[in-house]
Amino acid sequence: MSAVLKSSNGKMQINMQSCRTFAEIKDQLEEQLKTAGDFWLGGGVSIETGHKVLSSKQLEEIQTILSGHGLHLQTNDSEASTGFESSGHDPSLFEQLPYYEDTALICKSLRSGQKIFTEGNVVILGDVNPGAEVVAGGNILVMGSLRGMVHAGVFGDDAALVAAYRLSPTQLRIASHITRPPDGELIVVQCPELARIRGGKVCIEKLKI
Amino acid sequence: MKSRVLVVTSGKGGVGKTTTTANLGTALAMMGKKVVLLDTDIGLRNLDVVLGLENRIVFDIVDVVNAKCKLKQALIRDKRFEGLCLLPAAQTKDKSAVTPHQMKNLTNELRSDFDYILVDCPAGIEQGFRNAIAGADDAIVVATPEVSSVRDADRIIGLLEAAGLNKSRLIINRLRSKMVKRGDMMNIEDILDILSIDLLGVVPEDEVIVISTNRGEPAVMENASRAGAAYRRIARRVTGEEVPMFNLDDSNNILDRFKKLLKLAR
Ligand SMILES: Nc1ncnc2c1ncn2[C@@H]1O[C@H](COP(=O)(O)OP(=O)(O)OP(=O)(O)O)[C@@H](O)[C@H]1O
Ligand SMILES: [Mg+2]
Repeated sequence: MSAVLKSSNGKMQINMQSCRTFAEIKDQLEEQLKTAGDFWLGGGVSIETGHKVLSSKQLEEIQTILSGHGLHLQTNDSEASTGFESSGHDPSLFEQLPYYEDTALICKSLRSGQKIFTEGNVVILGDVNPGAEVVAGGNILVMGSLRGMVHAGVFGDDAALVAAYRLSPTQLRIASHITRPPDGELIVVQCPELARIRGGKVCIEKLKI
Repeated sequence: MKSRVLVVTSGKGGVGKTTTTANLGTALAMMGKKVVLLDTDIGLRNLDVVLGLENRIVFDIVDVVNAKCKLKQALIRDKRFEGLCLLPAAQTKDKSAVTPHQMKNLTNELRSDFDYILVDCPAGIEQGFRNAIAGADDAIVVATPEVSSVRDADRIIGLLEAAGLNKSRLIINRLRSKMVKRGDMMNIEDILDILSIDLLGVVPEDEVIVISTNRGEPAVMENASRAGAAYRRIARRVTGEEVPMFNLDDSNNILDRFKKLLKLAR
């Protein structure tokens, strides 16, 4: 495994591709900084995210580790890790997903009264029926019809997404935001959709993959 | 023939479990099958009333599991149809008077004498439900075209799956085609879309059901009854015969919709 923290041309970088999970990255980083002592003291560190996207909470966690060893996160680079617009191309769903360690794969439909909870992402290969609940620390992807209740980013991650082949939930929550379909209006959308927070509100948009 | 234990269940009360058990059982007996109907709605028994057998009850299901009598003594033979029997529920006890384990033994004991063992399940998801499904090979889920009934059916199907009953089939009861046409009632497609299980049949709203229930003669005995005809077709499907879904209406386009449905339900 290559090192998490590298320095090239006098610049220090955290390479997100070096580990599989965020927990590993944190462990490795801590380890490397410990062995380095105060060799890098006072330096700024940027993050090379590759195709992974970090949530603001995860950025914060990295910041905490760095400052514990007298280092700081270089903010201009951390912006780039969440702002893909700057790179010029139309971002695909997978590039926009905030990064979570575990993904649970559910290979059945959830019926009324059934509930799923995961700390990371959840992908459901089936429907989520009215009366069923999906709660996840990370993102929620439903490959069928989402008609029940979902809560993405339940630990407070505003960047978490909910995507579904057919998105018509009874109620949809992201972090501390709660929405429901407008009363009395029957909107029939025949394409996959995506829900996320934009400008402090839950927005529904067409899903581009 | 290998005997089948089929539980008739719904979650929501009053959607037609007892009506279905009585009519399906009678229709199967009319086809020459040996059928026993088990009323597990202890405390609220009424399958005996619907069948017109109330005045012949001596022993009941609780007496049988507590060995107060022999199973054969408690079975009531329906004189109208050879091969149709009823094991009535107790009226003065409650649902905890029987355990799932006892139910399983009971249905297994009945297998040797009957082709079909139909279990009429009480409403709800508590002990009565667990008793009723304990010995079952398959489930028949009854729902009416209402959001609340479909929601409860969905919950029940989930619980059945969790109990290892994965091939539940659906009967949609009390459909009113005029209301569906006006868009005032859920249509069959919407229901199947949510429940995604095989459709066993659709029974129309029919006042003959009410009349025949009061008289103690299941509607399948009434040739002119549309609901009775629907139950007779359902009985043939239960025996494994391929019976096309009938149009409840006379227009072709409904027939086409059913064809599409059948494909969808596969
Ligand atoms: N297709 C139908 N057309 C008209 N009335 C019907 C039909 N099916 C059932 N009913 C009526 O609905 C009422 C409830 O039916 P039934 O007793 O079979 O329901 P149930 O599910 O067994 O109820 P419970 O949950 O109380 O056991 C009865 O009065 C019955 O006559
Ligand atoms: Mg009943």
